[in-house]
Amino acid sequence: MHMTQPLTRSVALVAALIVSTTGFAQNANDAKSADETELIALLRSDAPASEKAIACKNLAIDGSSAAVPELANLLSDPQLASWSRIALEAIPGKAADEALLEATDSLQGELLVGTINSIGVRRNSNAVEKLATLLHSDDSEVASAAAVALGHIGNGAAAKSLRGSLASAPNEVRSSIALGCVLCAERFLAEGNSTEATEIYDQVRRADLPGQRIIEATRGAILARGDEGIPLLLEQFRSSEKPMFQLALGTAREFPGDKIDTALATEMSSATPERAALIIQAMADREETVVLAAVLKAAEQGPKQVRLSAIDALKRVGNDSCLAALLKIAIENDVDIVQTAKDTLAALPGKQIDGEIAALLPSSGGDTYPLLLELVGRRRIDVVEEVEKALEHSDKSVRSAALIALGETVSLNKLSVLISQVAAPKHPEDASVAQQALRAASVRMPDREACSTELTKALERLPTAAKSTLLEILSDVGGNKALATIAVAAKGNNPELQDTGSRLLGTWNSVDAAPVLLDLAKTAPAEKYQIRALRGYIGLARKFTMPANQRVEMCQNALDTAVRHDEKMLVLDVLKLHPSKPGLALAIKAKQIPDLNNEASEAAMVIAKKLSGRGVDVSELLSAAGLE
Amino acid sequence: MSNKAAQVSRRRFLKTTISAAGAAVAAPTIIPSSALGRDGAVPPSERIVVGGIGIGRRGGYDLGCFLEQKDVQFVAVCDIKKKRRGEVKNIIDKHNGNEKCDTYRDFRELLDRRDIDSVLIATGPNWHATAAMTTAKAGKDMYCEKPVTKNISQSLILADTMRRTARVFQAGTQRRNLPHFAFACELARTGKLGKLTKVFAHPMGMQALMSGWLPAEPEPDPDVVDWNMYLGPASWRPFNQKLLDGFNFEKGGGFVGAFNGGGVLEWGSHCVDLCQWAVGDCPPPVEYNAPKDGHLVARYESGTELIFREKGWIPLGSCPVRFEGETGWVEAGDSGKIVLSSPELLAGRTVEEIGGYPATFHVRDFLDCVKTRRQPKGNADAACNAHIACHAANIALHLGRQVKYDNATNTFINDEQANRMRSEALREPWRL
Repeated sequence: MHMTQPLTRSVALVAALIVSTTGFAQNANDAKSADETELIALLRSDAPASEKAIACKNLAIDGSSAAVPELANLLSDPQLASWSRIALEAIPGKAADEALLEATDSLQGELLVGTINSIGVRRNSNAVEKLATLLHSDDSEVASAAAVALGHIGNGAAAKSLRGSLASAPNEVRSSIALGCVLCAERFLAEGNSTEATEIYDQVRRADLPGQRIIEATRGAILARGDEGIPLLLEQFRSSEKPMFQLALGTAREFPGDKIDTALATEMSSATPERAALIIQAMADREETVVLAAVLKAAEQGPKQVRLSAIDALKRVGNDSCLAALLKIAIENDVDIVQTAKDTLAALPGKQIDGEIAALLPSSGGDTYPLLLELVGRRRIDVVEEVEKALEHSDKSVRSAALIALGETVSLNKLSVLISQVAAPKHPEDASVAQQALRAASVRMPDREACSTELTKALERLPTAAKSTLLEILSDVGGNKALATIAVAAKGNNPELQDTGSRLLGTWNSVDAAPVLLDLAKTAPAEKYQIRALRGYIGLARKFTMPANQRVEMCQNALDTAVRHDEKMLVLDVLKLHPSKPGLALAIKAKQIPDLNNEASEAAMVIAKKLSGRGVDVSELLSAAGLE
Repeated sequence: MSNKAAQVSRRRFLKTTISAAGAAVAAPTIIPSSALGRDGAVPPSERIVVGGIGIGRRGGYDLGCFLEQKDVQFVAVCDIKKKRRGEVKNIIDKHNGNEKCDTYRDFRELLDRRDIDSVLIATGPNWHATAAMTTAKAGKDMYCEKPVTKNISQSLILADTMRRTARVFQAGTQRRNLPHFAFACELARTGKLGKLTKVFAHPMGMQALMSGWLPAEPEPDPDVVDWNMYLGPASWRPFNQKLLDGFNFEKGGGFVGAFNGGGVLEWGSHCVDLCQWAVGDCPPPVEYNAPKDGHLVARYESGTELIFREKGWIPLGSCPVRFEGETGWVEAGDSGKIVLSSPELLAGRTVEEIGGYPATFHVRDFLDCVKTRRQPKGNADAACNAHIACHAANIALHLGRQVKYDNATNTFINDEQANRMRSEALREPWRL
C-alpha cells in the first residue's frame, strides 16, 4: 500500500495520544497539506480501518465533493459509517446531500438511523418527501429519526408531514413526532410566523403525549402568543400538576414585557403559601419590571414562608422605599424573620440608604438603636463619631453593637478608640466584645505594618492581661513588626508574656519566623519555651514550600539545637517527608549523633527509596555510608 | 507582585467575620432555607429524587455532595461497568440505610423512571452533551460534569435544548459558587477595576488530546463492560483497555479527536468560564489567534482580550484567573486566596476563603434552582459561551492561524475550514 508521509504522520497522531503544541501544529499542517486525492485513494484501498477513520476526519476539514462517493461507500460499514458521516456532514454542496439521501434506500436499522440523523443536521429540504415516507417505517427508531430530522429541516412541507402524522402515529414514535413539531414551530416563530407556530404548539400540547412533550409545547404556546399568552401561563400556575407549575415559574422569568408582572403579583396573592413563596422569587428575578409594592406587602404581612421569601427577594429588588418597613420587620419577635430582614437590610443596594441609616441614628432608641448600629457595621457606614457616643449607653446590647460597628468601620487613626476599650473598658462585661472588635479592625487594616506599629505602641501602657490579648491580635495581623514585637515579649521578663509569645511564635504561619524561632530555641528564658520554639521552627521546615537546600539547612540547625530525642526525630520526619539528595546526606550524617544512629539509618533508607522511585541515583551516597 | 498588593488570607477572613458576616462575600445562598422547606426533616413530597449516571472518581465526589443534602433522595445509579455499578450502589445504600438503590447499564432505563426528578451526569466527557440532552428530553433536571460539550455546535444545541425543555441545567463549574472567585469576577464585571482590558485563563497545556484507535483486544461481556454503550456517540473503534481506563478519556480528551478538546477545553471550561463571568457572560470572543510564546490571545467585541496563558501566575493554586482593568487588577486561584492590585478594592469587605474548590455550594445552588426554577450559576447559556470560546481557541490552535467568529450567525467569518470544525457527526443511533 502506498502511503504518503503526511498521512503516515496523521495516523501516528492517533496513537501518539498527546502531542505538544508545536508537534500538534506541525501535524495539523501536514494533514492539511495531504492531497485530497491521496485521502480518497486511501479510502478506496485495503488500508486498515483505523487509517480510513482518520482520513475521514481530515476530509471533514479539507474534503470536497470529489470525496463523497468513497465516503458514501462507507455508510454501510458498521465500523466506519459514523467516521464517514463526520466528513459527509461537513462537506458543503449537493453531492453530500444526495449521497446521504440515496443511502436511505439501501440502509436499515441503526445505520439508516445515523444517516437520517445526518440528513437532519444538514437540513436538506430535498429530503422531506423521503423522510415523510420514513415516518411510517415499521422500525420505530427509523421513524423517530425521520421525525426529528424533519423537525430540524423545519420548513412548511416538513411541518405538514409531521402534523399530519401526530395523532395517528404509534405510541413509540409519537413523542419524536411531537419533538419534530416543536422544532418546526420554533423555526416558524424565529422567522416571524407566530400564527403557525402557535397552531403547532397548541396541536402538540393537546395530543396524547408524554408530559415532557406537553411541557415543551405549552411553553412555546405561551411565548408565541406574546401578551395574549398570559392567561395560559396563569393557567399553569394554578395547575394541580407540579411539573406544570414549575414550567410556569420558569416561563414567567423569560416572558417579555411588563404586563406579566402585574399578573404575577395578583397570582401570588391568591396562591397557597408554598407556591406564593416560589412565585415571589420568580417576580424578583424580573428586576426591571417587578411590582415592588407587591413584594414589599408580602414581606410585611402574611404567612411566614411567604414573608421570608419576600424579605429575601427585596435583597435583589428593594430600594430606599423599603427601608422603613424593613427596619420595622427587623425588630419583630420571630428569629427567622428578624435575621432575614437584617440580611436584606445589610445588602439593600444604594448609598442613599447608608445616608438614611446614618441620619436615623442620633434620634433612634429602643430596639431600633442597636439594629441601626449593627447595620452601620454591616454596611460599613462611616459614622464613627456618632457610634462612639453609643459606647456610653447604659444598655449592654447597644454598647456591644457599637463596638462591633466600630470594629467594622474605624480607620487606622481611630484604632485607638478600640485599643482604649480593650485596655480599660468602662464596663467589664464589654471586654470580650471590645477585643473582638479590635481584632476585626486590626486584621482589616490595609497597611498591616502601620497597624502593628500602633498596637505595639499601645502595648507598653497596658496591664499584662491586656498585653496578652494584644499579642494575640498582633499574631492575627501578621507581618514583620508583629513578629518582632512578639519575639521581644517571648524573650522578656514577664512569664505570662513569655508563654503567650512563644506559643504564638510556635504556630506562626510564615517562614519569616524561622530566624526568630531558632534564636528563641536557644535563648528563651525557660526550657519549655525553647522546646516550643524549636518545634515551631521544625514545623516551618515541614509545612512550607522552599528550596531543598534551605529546608536541609533548617533541619541541620534544628539538629544542632535539639537536646531531646523527640525533636531530633521530628527533624528526620521532615527529611523523609521532603526527600532530596541533600536531605539524604543530612540523614546519613545524623547517624553520627549517638542516640540517633538507627533512626537516621532508617530515615536515610526511606529517603533513598523515594528518590530512587523518581529516578534519582543515590547509590554513591548510600555506598559511602555503608547503607546499600 | 506590586508592593501594594493585598493578599486576603484565611486568617484575615476568619478573624473579621466574627462581626462582619453581612459585609462579607460568603458562600452564596439562594433563598432562606426555611422558605423552601428544607430546614429540619424534609417531607418526602419536598425531596428531590436523584439518579446518577457514570459515577466514577469525579462523580463519586459529586455524589457525596448530593448525599449530604437533606432534601436529596438518591435512588438509582447507571454505569456501563458492572463493578462500579455495585460499588456506587453500596455507597448509596449505606447512606440510605437500605438496599433499594437500583442499578442500570443503559441510562435510558433510568431516565424512564417517573419518580426521578434530577440526574447527576458524571460520565466521561464523550457522553456529557448527549446524555444531558437525552436527560432534558426525558423531563429531568441535571447537574452535568464538565467539559460539557465537544464542539461549538453541541454548545449551541445544549443551550437551545435546555431552554426548549424548560429544564434546570447546572454545569460542573463549581467555582462560580465559591466566594473568592465570585468576588474577583464581581470586581471585573462591575467596573471596580476600571475599563476591563484583559482577562487571563490557565489552559493547563495547550495541546490536543486524542484517545485514538488502539489495537483491538478481546471485548468483555457487555454485562461486565458495555463497550458499545461506552463508545456511545463517539465513532466506533475496537475495545482496548487503555481507552476504558486511560488518562485521555478521563481527562477530557477522550474521543474528542484531534480537532478539539485537550487542556484548553479541560481546564478552560473552568477558567474561561470564570473569565466569561468577569465580562458579564457576554457572547464569546470574536477573534482568536494562534498561540505564541505560551499565550493564545482572543479578543471580545468590546476589545477586552481573553488570554490563555501557561505561565506567569502568582502561586495561588490551580485554576488561576486574572482580570486586569485600566485602574486595577485581581488574581485568584484554587487556594481560596485572591490578590488585589490595591487593598482599596476590598472597600472594607472581607472575602471568605474556601480552598480546595468544593462543589457543595454548587450542588446546593442546583437543588435550590430545581425548586425555584431559577437559572443556576452554571446554567446552559453560560456554559455554552465559555465552551464556544474554548472550542474556537482550539480551532485557532489546530489551524495555527487567526480565526474570526461571528456571534450573530455562530459562524467563522469567511473561513470554511474553521466552520467545518464547528460540529462532528455522532455515531448511530445517537443524535442531539
